[in-house]
Amino acid sequence: MEWSIGNSGSRYKVSFSEKEELLSLSKLISEDKEINFDDISISKDQQAGRLLVDLDGKRSFAHISRCDDEWWIHFQGRIYVINMHEPGSPDSSLSEGSLSAPMPGTILDVMVKTGQRVREGQTLLVMEAMKMEHRIQAPRAGEVTSVYFQKGDRVDMGANLVEIGD
Amino acid sequence: MVLEMFPDWMINAPTPFSSVLVANRGEIAVRILKAARESGLKGIAIYSDPDKNSLHVEVADESVHLPGENLSETYLNMELIISAAKESGAQAIHPGYGFLSERANFAKLVKDSGLIWIGPSSEAIETMGDKISARRRMIESDVPIIPGEELAIESGSNPLGVLATSAARVGYPLLVKASAGGGGKGMRAVHEPKMLRTEYEAAAREASAAFGDGTVYVERLLTGSRHVEIQVLCDQYGNSIHLNERDCSLQRRHQKVIEEAPSPAVTPEIRRNMGQAAIRAAESVNYEGAGTVEFLLTSRGEFFFLEMNTRLQVEHPVTELITGIDLVQKQFEVAAGIPLNISQDEIGITGHSIEARIYAEDVTKGFLPAIGKLSMWRPPSTPGVRMDSGFREGDEVTIDFDPMLAKLIVHAPTREAALRKLDAALSEFVVLGVTTNVGFLREVSKSEAFSNGLVTTDYLDNVSLEEFEEPRISDSILVSIAAGASRFGLDRNQLPSSSEILDEYSGHSGDPFKTLTRSYP
Repeated sequence: MEWSIGNSGSRYKVSFSEKEELLSLSKLISEDKEINFDDISISKDQQAGRLLVDLDGKRSFAHISRCDDEWWIHFQGRIYVINMHEPGSPDSSLSEGSLSAPMPGTILDVMVKTGQRVREGQTLLVMEAMKMEHRIQAPRAGEVTSVYFQKGDRVDMGANLVEIGD
Repeated sequence: MVLEMFPDWMINAPTPFSSVLVANRGEIAVRILKAARESGLKGIAIYSDPDKNSLHVEVADESVHLPGENLSETYLNMELIISAAKESGAQAIHPGYGFLSERANFAKLVKDSGLIWIGPSSEAIETMGDKISARRRMIESDVPIIPGEELAIESGSNPLGVLATSAARVGYPLLVKASAGGGGKGMRAVHEPKMLRTEYEAAAREASAAFGDGTVYVERLLTGSRHVEIQVLCDQYGNSIHLNERDCSLQRRHQKVIEEAPSPAVTPEIRRNMGQAAIRAAESVNYEGAGTVEFLLTSRGEFFFLEMNTRLQVEHPVTELITGIDLVQKQFEVAAGIPLNISQDEIGITGHSIEARIYAEDVTKGFLPAIGKLSMWRPPSTPGVRMDSGFREGDEVTIDFDPMLAKLIVHAPTREAALRKLDAALSEFVVLGVTTNVGFLREVSKSEAFSNGLVTTDYLDNVSLEEFEEPRISDSILVSIAAGASRFGLDRNQLPSSSEILDEYSGHSGDPFKTLTRSYP
């Protein structure tokens, strides 16, 4: 398995040395390079969804829950999302230039047309989700190559709304 | 014929009741239904299809299904809710907040149907619900109002001409507000004339979507002020007291994020004057029950009436914790015609209380609401920590309703201690599977401005959110924990299958859901 954190692209391969249900981090590889790591070992806890983590001699709990390929972790008062990837799998993030609906909702206004040049940060669409308005803005400058919805349409989460080309 | 079983405390009341239907959902329905149970009243819930497995249905003694696709067919359907009350034998209706709580015609319909309405009169709701009539009433009652000119825009006319003229007289920056607005919906700040049309149209659209009324008016925007509100409590015999203030200055998009009592900016003198003004406001409409008078408090210590909320507030727990008064129980008593029997001198302030609203949202994406399944939900439990929520482990967060997951409320002897307790409680809150603002709340509550009590309502709008970015530990630790969890097979049998295991998981006796049994299919 390979692992990455949040939206950052770097993938990690993790190796442990295992002794009586105690895993100690023994090797960490990122981008084909071995990298330095913290002194960390992990053991099972009595309770499901929880692990014991020994970090530099200090022991604390980690609460863990898997949701599809995301592993949600609560550790030392903070919550993190770690992505799991099959080795060599492509990034699942959307193709560059397409803008997807961040929430299911209704399109209130479409402010651009196909062929129009837009600047970075320009509002392209206004949608409503959970009774609040959200402005969908251009992530970069470019030309609008497709607009998939019109005013009043209902859209699902993740639906492609607009394509922006160069 | 069923024999009426009134609780002991209600036996001598002029208008006793033994059951209450809660015309709401989510955390506030849970709060009120639990209060009903505590008071010996039968609690009746209503629910629409998406809520059939929700916590508020579980805590109710009985529940009535409301068929329908959307809110207007269900939680906003007055006739259907009245017939649910009749059908279930409910004698009183508690509206909670939001939904029908501030609909004057609903209050009237409830009373006309022979039921007890737990709230003020429909006349009081109507007067305070319309911002223009409320302002007129405040002028008559010697309650200071926001300077500037107001203008009602009739629906159907072309509003932009009149709006622009009025806006020019009031001066920029200004607020365009929907007369029927609230909760940040239908309210827009306009900083320069060229934005007037866009912001007006957005306000009108939001207001008509959320409240079915597109009428708006303009008002001077007082920047650098605080939002301070007074909790009032009035009985049916003209006795009114106030229960001190709440400071709700920390807001984003005009929605409250953290509230506290007492306010770090309110002196005993301001408290006395503001409290008296709030009582005058309440008495001007012969208010009954629990209500809130909201003020803007300027840096010079002047205060101006904003609006009166003629219902229980989301943030009512901080007042309960510093005064020791259970507001929902008081609402029941007032509705039953029991006199207040508390004088103003008996109301004190014990310690300091802070409430943080836990939202399902992605702060890094402009507070975008988040959805998903609460695959792990372990609220903190220590002395001085209260959590009000309508969610349990395993529940789905959907787009059907408001993204507020819970209110985490702390109480400690001093503000500093309350802040430390809040941070500890937030850090212990295990909520996995849905993105929340918990980390953001930790950072905001520890910010220099908030910890020194200096936050004004525009604070979050004028500061870069990057300031509240959470510190994170090294990637090597995180990927090791995930890989270790995978190696140990932690993804198997994630959710507990019985409540017995849930108790063991939460590891404490204060688990709010522990003693509950499911009482519906």
